[in-house]
Amino acid sequence: MTELVIQTKGLYKTYKKRAAVQDLNLEIARGDIYGFLGPNGAGKTTTIRMLLGLIQPTRGAIHLFGKDLKSEKMNILRRTGSLVEYPSYYGHLTAVENLEAIRRITGGPKSRIAEVLEIVSLTKEAKRPVKGYSLGMKQRLGIAAALLNNPELLILDEPTNGLDPSGIHEIRELIKNMPRQYGITVLVSSHLLGEVEQMADKVGIIREGRMVFQDTIDNLVSTASSGFRLSVSEPEAALGLALDLGCAGVLRDHMLELESMQDAKIALLVKRLVENQHAVYRVEEQRRSLEDIFMQIVGEGSRV
Amino acid sequence: MMFRALSADWLKIRGKGIWFLAALGPIGLAGMQGLNFGLRYDYLMKSYAADPWGGLLENVLFFVPIALFLGTTLVCSLMANVEHQLSSWKQLLALPISRTAVFSAKFVQAFLILCVSCLLLSVSTAVLGIMLGMGVEQMPYMDLLRIGFVQLFAALPMLAFQLWLSLTLKNQGIAVGIGVTASVVSMFALQFPDWMPLKWPLMAYMGPDQAKVIGAGLLLGALIICAGMIHFNRKDVD
Repeated sequence: MTELVIQTKGLYKTYKKRAAVQDLNLEIARGDIYGFLGPNGAGKTTTIRMLLGLIQPTRGAIHLFGKDLKSEKMNILRRTGSLVEYPSYYGHLTAVENLEAIRRITGGPKSRIAEVLEIVSLTKEAKRPVKGYSLGMKQRLGIAAALLNNPELLILDEPTNGLDPSGIHEIRELIKNMPRQYGITVLVSSHLLGEVEQMADKVGIIREGRMVFQDTIDNLVSTASSGFRLSVSEPEAALGLALDLGCAGVLRDHMLELESMQDAKIALLVKRLVENQHAVYRVEEQRRSLEDIFMQIVGEGSRV
Repeated sequence: MMFRALSADWLKIRGKGIWFLAALGPIGLAGMQGLNFGLRYDYLMKSYAADPWGGLLENVLFFVPIALFLGTTLVCSLMANVEHQLSSWKQLLALPISRTAVFSAKFVQAFLILCVSCLLLSVSTAVLGIMLGMGVEQMPYMDLLRIGFVQLFAALPMLAFQLWLSLTLKNQGIAVGIGVTASVVSMFALQFPDWMPLKWPLMAYMGPDQAKVIGAGLLLGALIICAGMIHFNRKDVD
């Protein structure tokens, strides 16, 4: 089994009487890009703040790199870079000075500042006060700050929030490269599935403080299939044959509409149809969009 | 660890007007006495003929506590605001540095800035005295130094308290409001009972029991810092 970089067990955070996070079990393996999804107010930021030791969990355990966050906070934070919600920066300082303020705390060579500015392509703007930056540039500076200490784990909370499409694209490309180029594990939160889908390997979907789905993107996609449509030369006879094989389905507009089934079964059906002299024109899978699935999961809170 | 945080803190307060404020206080106090002595030069020099330096120091003395309390309030608030303004706490405290180190660095920074102010007060008062024609050979070096520093030590509880308020409450209005009120009230300090910390700066300079008062200032200051630190360590960062 691969090493888990982040693992939480039965994590709870309660404010007054409102439970912001309930019984959360996160599992993120080394080298993953993990998309942490949920609508606004679902508890993503609360969870991330707990992972960084900014707020105390009410109950439950957090292990990063296999170590307990409570007892080894400094060691863990030394290996972690973070960007929590909107970027924090000192507006009156330049990008270089902002990074220098962090470098003085984390240590490390001065040359690293130029390196991270290069990674987020801010080298040209490095000498300007940050208050004059566009939101996208500030967000990139935030990522540069997170990368400054050569982290093994990058925790990014809504890094593309409020960015225009090209800004989103840039950040996405940046994040996608992290495991490949630098071997960094990434946890990235978002309220948009479409955005995470394009970079994450694994997703966790949280709703009202509870995890409702945690698996690979591929498995999420496989739940998207809602059935098959077959276009054949003699639909009525073909339907009889399909029903004989144990498929459930109906005839609509001269096409067979069958419920979703295993690959082996659809192959068998096609084989039988051909053997019985049917001409098979088309076999198409009907898919719900990922957005639909996401909305269903988030809307109903049911497990898919 | 604390020195790393402190080193970053010096960078952060660049261009925030904190040094300007730190210089304005003491030079303003001396300037005010310059005006006072300039306008009533003959009268004042006659009444303080026996000890002109002592007269000058006495006039400066009564404005030092209010300046100190105000300065403490504003320096703490300006420093804290650097972090509050764009919610930099969440970034700073997610770095591999203990909250104790962050808090102590802020305290040391505020203390050092105020030390610079006190030193400037001694220097500018000395310069004023010389400009007013008071003899350099009679210059009371010790008293000139004491007038700022001794009062600063006695005002440490206030510094610790203001720092705690400023760092933990995002709304600086509360911290500044409390600080300004305390500063204004401190003008009537001489009528207060001795246990009131607002009276301690004057007592630490004038006596009786200067050493005891300074000791009390250090002790109470340390207690408040500890309480503030414990609270800051446990606080959730939003």
